[in-house]
Amino acid sequence: MLMISPKMASGVQEKQYTPCLLSFFIYNPTFGPREGEEEKKILFYHPSAVEKNEKIRNVGLCEAIVQFTRTFCPTKPAKSLHTQKNRQFFFEPEENFWMVMVVRNPMIEKPNKDGKPPTIEYQEEEILDTVYGAVVRQCYCMYKLFNSTFGRAMEAGGVELLIQKLEKFFYRYLQTLHLQSCDLLDVFGGISFFPLDKMTYLKIQSFVNQVEERLSLIKYTAFLYNDQLIWSGLEQDDMRILYKYLTTSLFPRHSEPELAGRDSPLRPEVAGNLLHYGRFLTGPTNLKDPEAKFRFPKIFISAVDGYEELHLIVYKAMSAAACFMISASVELTRQFCEQLDSLVGPQLTLLASDICEQFTINRRISGPEKEPQFKFIYFNHMNLAEKSTIHMRKTASVCLTSVHPDLMKILGDINCDFARVDEDEEIIVKAMTDYWVVGKKSDQRELYVILNQKNANLIEVNEEVKRLCATQFNNIFFLD
Amino acid sequence: MDGETATGTESWEDCMLAPVDRLRLERADSPTPGLVEGTEPGAGQRSAMFVQAQSFEDLTSEAEEEAQRSAAEENPEGPDEGEYKVQNHDFSSDSRTKEEDVSSEAWRSHKKHVFVLSEAGKPIYTRYGTEEALSSTMGVMMALVSFVEAEKNIIRSIHADGCKVVFLTKSPLVLVGVSRTSQSDKELLRELQYIYYQIVSLLTLTQLNHIFQNKQNYDLRRLLAGSEYLTDNLLHRLERDPGLLLSAVTCLPLASCSRDAVSSSLQAAKAKNLVFSILLAGDRLVTLIRKKDQFLHHIDLHLVLNLVGSSSSFREGEGWTPICLPKFNTSGFFHAHISYLEPASELCLILVSTDREDFFNMSDCKQRFLERLSKRCAYQSLKEALKCPTYPVSQVGIPDLRHFLYKSKSSGLYTSPEFPDVYRSGQEQERLMGLYQDLHSCLHHPTRPLRSFYRCGETENLLAWVTSGFELYLCFSPLASKASAVAAVNKLLKWIRKEEDRLFILSPLTY
Repeated sequence: MLMISPKMASGVQEKQYTPCLLSFFIYNPTFGPREGEEEKKILFYHPSAVEKNEKIRNVGLCEAIVQFTRTFCPTKPAKSLHTQKNRQFFFEPEENFWMVMVVRNPMIEKPNKDGKPPTIEYQEEEILDTVYGAVVRQCYCMYKLFNSTFGRAMEAGGVELLIQKLEKFFYRYLQTLHLQSCDLLDVFGGISFFPLDKMTYLKIQSFVNQVEERLSLIKYTAFLYNDQLIWSGLEQDDMRILYKYLTTSLFPRHSEPELAGRDSPLRPEVAGNLLHYGRFLTGPTNLKDPEAKFRFPKIFISAVDGYEELHLIVYKAMSAAACFMISASVELTRQFCEQLDSLVGPQLTLLASDICEQFTINRRISGPEKEPQFKFIYFNHMNLAEKSTIHMRKTASVCLTSVHPDLMKILGDINCDFARVDEDEEIIVKAMTDYWVVGKKSDQRELYVILNQKNANLIEVNEEVKRLCATQFNNIFFLD
Repeated sequence: MDGETATGTESWEDCMLAPVDRLRLERADSPTPGLVEGTEPGAGQRSAMFVQAQSFEDLTSEAEEEAQRSAAEENPEGPDEGEYKVQNHDFSSDSRTKEEDVSSEAWRSHKKHVFVLSEAGKPIYTRYGTEEALSSTMGVMMALVSFVEAEKNIIRSIHADGCKVVFLTKSPLVLVGVSRTSQSDKELLRELQYIYYQIVSLLTLTQLNHIFQNKQNYDLRRLLAGSEYLTDNLLHRLERDPGLLLSAVTCLPLASCSRDAVSSSLQAAKAKNLVFSILLAGDRLVTLIRKKDQFLHHIDLHLVLNLVGSSSSFREGEGWTPICLPKFNTSGFFHAHISYLEPASELCLILVSTDREDFFNMSDCKQRFLERLSKRCAYQSLKEALKCPTYPVSQVGIPDLRHFLYKSKSSGLYTSPEFPDVYRSGQEQERLMGLYQDLHSCLHHPTRPLRSFYRCGETENLLAWVTSGFELYLCFSPLASKASAVAAVNKLLKWIRKEEDRLFILSPLTY
């Protein structure tokens, strides 16, 4: 991404470039051990247009770095390489399979006079290892969600199949990586939970039970409202990556029809169905269509004996979404989908309006919303719960934050600090811009607060954060 | 914010005892004309490097030896080479016991490795193990450096969980640090820079370049043999001495009238080529007199402190040694007259001259200084002060305060109490230093500097604060509250203000 900086007073225009993906490759050093066969090691390489020898050279460097690091830490592999121009992130998700992501450092291009080529200044301290390391791990998890492990592809169809699968998945997935807007939330990879009163929560639970009872093919169910999770029958780590897929990819792609209103041509299926607002986000777009196909994406989740392959049905009514997962060995028919539509559609529509109502009441009780003096991010490692008042609504393309990127990076720095020592800690810093940033780590929970009270002192900041903890996290103990 | 950032991001290298631009000007006319070529330190031998100049004969023989060696160096493949190795052998055996299996877990798990190699990949120094055993490892290091260089890029560091490798290319040398500490890349680079300057201080950069231009493959260990202990010691200091972290030195607490008397006595003992005279009490500065318009960089001063502190040979008489002060001028040698005021005393006088024939002049300066000093009975009070070179933190009177570092930015001096019992052991001291280093690198982050940093943990609470005038790092008991920490800062600053004429050198003198 290119941004023109406002420093134009001198008439010299500086161009500022945000970090971007230079290359992304996957290799296995055991596949081409002999000289002259190096190309066989490479399973995937983006951009594919790169000349063969250069690919081999770059993979060679990674191998050398990994090998060299073993001289000093045989058990802990190299995770990143910093150079003046870029950073490379290494991840070995399965034995001998290495994923490498190369990110160019942000840079400033300063034009020179007299037709000389512009000076490029790399900003080497801007990229946080923890953030982009997490992005690479996420890439693998997402691949695994839809394809299972590399090892399984190898078993099923050898290197050729694996190469094919990698090509198919990453070609599209890499285009959805928005490296310039990655931050602390990527490190956490948490799930945002929808706060709900007991009654409504029980209603949802009984809805889930009823559907699972009536449609016994359904193995697992997840329920979301407003892109936030309410109920999930999946293991945490599976839900985490599924949640990531739903909220950053599937939902944003389908959000337009709801916003478009009833008469919009964008939602033709509504015309024939006035009983409810339910519709399939995966599978058939219109049940009435005689040509409709009843194919759903397949996902892989962890099971006792390795993995389990499932159909993923995502069904949405207004802001409520239900995910139903059914064993992949079952073939899904028109009849089943119609049954599901007629059972779930009306109920989900009702639930959605119930939750909406409840939500507005609660908001009214908690008082009028005014711009608070603070913004925060909370994460709980135990249940992966995350909450951020810093991030605006996530869209498919960008993740907007309401604070200066430098402050976000300070949060990242504090998070690195916390990760180093396994004990409770609190850090309070004052940035050069006079913002206060507070980080608290207690047990498995982390809280980060940015305060815009420039004239406050340490004691006042502490009081402010105490108040915040009391109102937002009244049942959570934080080290004082 | 821009203005603030500028002060906050000023790199550690710029925090010198003098304004940078002035120093640059002086670099033009080297203080040591004519000494650049053909002069080299007695790096080959420990004893030769620190000549115990008891008589004039000793001095001349040293000069002859030097001449011989420089001839040999110009033709490193000459017949002298065999002789060299034999000479050096004696010293490497007694100086260090480095025999260690470099494939062992024990070797790997050292907290911090440092390697120096030439651009041809030849080993020059390793902190642990022998260079011979590590020559292939260092070859790989050089290969990585050149591979990345070939892409018109520069390798900076490699990160693994709990371990990082940092590269510093300072042509014609390459330095590599491998650390298991939590130190930032920048802190590690700073340490490697020190090691680089340590080597330059023994050889001068001009000579270093000259050697490798003539023979890329040159084995620099031949020239540095016997001096490795200086690098070893410097690394040890980097782990323990807050001065190297803060880019500052600390002073012997001394009543200002006494210090002024000592200073003026030293100032009076001047000579034509005398540039700096430094009086030390152990690692603490008593006074420093410099030629007007000449400034000593804190790195150079720390290299001098390391040289003096690393060798007991100066205790045996008057030492006369060439030394390059790389931040002053990388191309030439100064000559330092180093001696203790009394054999058993901690007081060490260093007289830095530009003239290599100046030994007797310097010796004479020392005598004149001693005479004046004893006349003015300042010597007595100085000796009194030596009995308590440190102070306990309890003197400040803040109950929860365990330890602190305070640096005055303009003077480049810092003060700090002795380590309390909790941090008395070497291991705990290094841990505390590690915490200070963390604070330091957070506050001086190259792009996101901070004004203040407070950390509350299970073993201690820490507070750091940087303003345009000072840097302050405090360590409290883990039970101390934030309110008490804030109160402590005010109280401590008042205390330092009250004690400043004792703890700092407020009126430095010049020739």
